[in-house]
Amino acid sequence: MSTRIIPIAAVLIALAAPAAAQTPAANIEPGLGIEPGAMQPVMDQAIFAHAIFNQLEGRWNGSNTQFRWDGQGWAGTDYDKLWIKSEGTVSNGALEDSQQQFLYSRAVTTYFDLQGGLRSDLDSRPTRNWAAFGIQGLAPYFFDLELTGFVSGQGHLAAKLQASYDLLITQRLILQPQIELNIYSKADPARLTGPGFSDIDTGLRLRYEFSRQFAPYIGVVYEGKFGQTANFVRQAGESTGDVRFVFGIRAWF
Amino acid sequence: MNRFAPPSLAITRRPFMQGAATAGALSLIPFPLRALAASAPVLSGTEFALEIGTVPLTLDGREATATGVNGQIPAPILRWREGDTVTLAVTNRLSQPSSIHWHGVRTPSPMDGVPGLSFAGIAPRGTFVYRFPVRQSGTYWYHSHSMFQEQTGLYGAIVIAPKAGYAQAFDRDYVVLLSDWSFEPPETIVSNLKFQSNYYNYGQRTLGTFIDDAQRTGMADTVGDRLEWGRMRMSPTDILDVSGATYTYLINGQPPATNWTALFRPGERVRLRFINGSSMSIFDVRVDGLPMTVVQADGNDVVPVIVDQFRISVAETYDVIVQPTADRAYTIFAQAEDRTGYARGTLAPRAGMAAAIPPMDPRPMRTMADMGMAGMEHGEMPGMELSSEGKKLQGSVGVDNVAMMPAARLHGAGEGFPSGRRVLTYADLQAIKPGSDPRPPAHEITLHLTGNMERFIWGFDGKKFSEAEPIALQRGDRVRFVLINDTMMEHPIHLHGLWSELDNGHGDYRPYKHTINVKPGERLSYLVTADVPGRWAFHCHLLYHMETGMFREVRVA
Amino acid sequence: MIARLYRLLVIGLLPIALIACMNSPPTAAESNAAVPLGIDLGSSGPVAASTPAQAAVPIAHAAAPDVSPPHGNGMQMAHAGANDAHGTGTVNSVDPAQHKINLSHQPIPEIGWPAMTMEFPVAPSIDLKAIKPGTRVNFTIEQQPGGMYEIRAITPAGAGR
Repeated sequence: MSTRIIPIAAVLIALAAPAAAQTPAANIEPGLGIEPGAMQPVMDQAIFAHAIFNQLEGRWNGSNTQFRWDGQGWAGTDYDKLWIKSEGTVSNGALEDSQQQFLYSRAVTTYFDLQGGLRSDLDSRPTRNWAAFGIQGLAPYFFDLELTGFVSGQGHLAAKLQASYDLLITQRLILQPQIELNIYSKADPARLTGPGFSDIDTGLRLRYEFSRQFAPYIGVVYEGKFGQTANFVRQAGESTGDVRFVFGIRAWF
Repeated sequence: MNRFAPPSLAITRRPFMQGAATAGALSLIPFPLRALAASAPVLSGTEFALEIGTVPLTLDGREATATGVNGQIPAPILRWREGDTVTLAVTNRLSQPSSIHWHGVRTPSPMDGVPGLSFAGIAPRGTFVYRFPVRQSGTYWYHSHSMFQEQTGLYGAIVIAPKAGYAQAFDRDYVVLLSDWSFEPPETIVSNLKFQSNYYNYGQRTLGTFIDDAQRTGMADTVGDRLEWGRMRMSPTDILDVSGATYTYLINGQPPATNWTALFRPGERVRLRFINGSSMSIFDVRVDGLPMTVVQADGNDVVPVIVDQFRISVAETYDVIVQPTADRAYTIFAQAEDRTGYARGTLAPRAGMAAAIPPMDPRPMRTMADMGMAGMEHGEMPGMELSSEGKKLQGSVGVDNVAMMPAARLHGAGEGFPSGRRVLTYADLQAIKPGSDPRPPAHEITLHLTGNMERFIWGFDGKKFSEAEPIALQRGDRVRFVLINDTMMEHPIHLHGLWSELDNGHGDYRPYKHTINVKPGERLSYLVTADVPGRWAFHCHLLYHMETGMFREVRVA
Repeated sequence: MIARLYRLLVIGLLPIALIACMNSPPTAAESNAAVPLGIDLGSSGPVAASTPAQAAVPIAHAAAPDVSPPHGNGMQMAHAGANDAHGTGTVNSVDPAQHKINLSHQPIPEIGWPAMTMEFPVAPSIDLKAIKPGTRVNFTIEQQPGGMYEIRAITPAGAGR
């Protein structure tokens, strides 16, 4: 069943190659220029690559400290990119709540990409693998939006919504509200997640951009667990609603 | 303070500046030659040898490697005469292929210098010999057409003397080549823009501007305005993609602090040949304290127009004559359109003089007219429908806006000019003699200038160069190009090899231009006679727009 | 000894002379030697004689000058000038309000025009009531300073053909 994930992902990746118009190989009269197709005057299909850490922070709730990261990276052309997303928390020395996604991303509209691929929950709890599909882009009013759906090998479904907004206080001081929600169709006690609306991680971060690529920030986050997830988490001796102060760096290259 | 010392400056001045005796002797040398000893050289004649290579330069202690010609930035001024046949042997000492395109000069297609269209480029250590008759006169320029070499310093002026003599008299003649320099490699600039398209925009709307606007026009208006722009995911503060945040603006290769100076004797008529040789910067030019008489645009004579200021877009040229009568210095002031910096020189009777540098004008803001929605109030959408071609474009990956009502904007100078100043408009340009081809156009070619700012993709009709077919014309065709700018930025559109005769209300006295700056939301047209066969480049001259797709081939068979 | 003193004097005065030279009034090249100077490409020389008079007088906007033609006599004609061209065609429509005629004409080799159908403004002195749509006409056009070709003379073409 987990082996079925790979062919599904491969099909998604193989879909929709960019349609590039071929310059007709018409003959040019001698002396008027070089033959078409030999060389391009502009290279507009260049490949670019970037990665960003939206969160790279220490989280402190008065008694203990966690470390959390949330980053993405992509490489590709204007239309086709390979995308990596990774997030996770280190708490009491153990890696928790960690998900990595490997996606093929295709630009479909002015502001949105369609993405498909694999998600792998890899941390100190049992590993889960999912097929992933979703959209990512810029919604009206400048909200950054990611909405992804997942299907596991056992037919479990999940969904994740991530959204954020950049409010410029000055040209370099930026306040960013951010939210991440997870929903699951079935309980997964080994991973402390229950069905339905499972957990929320939302924060308000204030960063100062020394340069565009390097911006330390402070903020406050709320991690909440709901429904059966809250029960599992309480059972495991952890809190279900945690407010933490954060200090970190937003960096990209 | 920036200190710019191109190596040519250092090399040529040392023998002249040793010791008082030498300086004393120097005073006996006639004035123009003394100036020559301290500036980039001029090459004249009909045979030229140009060497493209790396040029180490230092700006305020910061070192960089630029690309130049004959060890200089800008490249040497080439002086030709109308009627001569010129031969230019260009040797490439870079480790990448290079090329030189003679901007605005009508040459046979294989001599046009565009790798991939005209020829295969000049390989490293190779030499290409350009040879063509010069059948025009005026101010032009030359630059690399390979990758981003134009950004790293490969640009220079061409001055072609008219066979029949000048239409206006002048006593002195200076090339004023404006450009932009960044210490960041151009590949990094594009890469930054691909990830964050407002990377270089430090003039965005903030909480502060919101409060200011609310105090000025009221909360409801301000909120409505923010919502209107937000719904479109556009920012009215997008003026130039790359700004003074990374650029130093140069005048003849000199930053503002070194005070490039053009000398005159009071009462003389001075011709200034302004060339915008930058990669991404539109300049608003004036000589503080002097009106200018515009006598040529893009190398062609126009009926003289007196103005206080003009906007010169990338690759355009304007020749003006000024007549300073006072014994004082005047500042030549070229501010970037987004007011993030300026290039500055001085017009003075003696070296070492400087006039006050005026403050920059307020930064312009885009309006609904720039979105092609002039006259539409917040949210109001009168029964206007996009054209069928507009509907196809909207929503596609390469297009973030389609102008609902593109308008003729030739009578406006653009935004950002304080009232009371006479600013040149395209409607003011009238050719001195009627066009050489009086035929009306046989057909029209309409192109939308499109782009997606968020993804930093630019093109025509929503397509990049690699996704589109060449535009095919027959030799002898007389066509009208109609350009509709669906984006909210200016695009200087340049057609190689053939003249673009701008329809600006002067009938057969249309100005002949090689580069036409299309304003946001504007619809304009121009006539072209396809009289020279070949594969001609047709593109936006904003370098990073061109390289990300805003390019086409016009093939004249 | 006087020779020695004299030599000493010269030697003594030499540095003063040199200092005086160094402190001579600054020439353009000496003072502020750091300022980069523009290269003067020279003056224009004699101005071209063939340029039209209006080119020497700077104006803010070009305006088409008024043309007031003399009276015609019988044949509808306004002043025929140097930029004349002659053609033959058929009148399609007449617009008295705008004082224009729409014509389909034969090629006009004098100015390199192919056969076309187009609108012409008509010289003010010409009476449009005399011109009927459908008529074959011979006409003379002249290019105005504003660039447009205007009909200066128009007569019905001979019968037949």
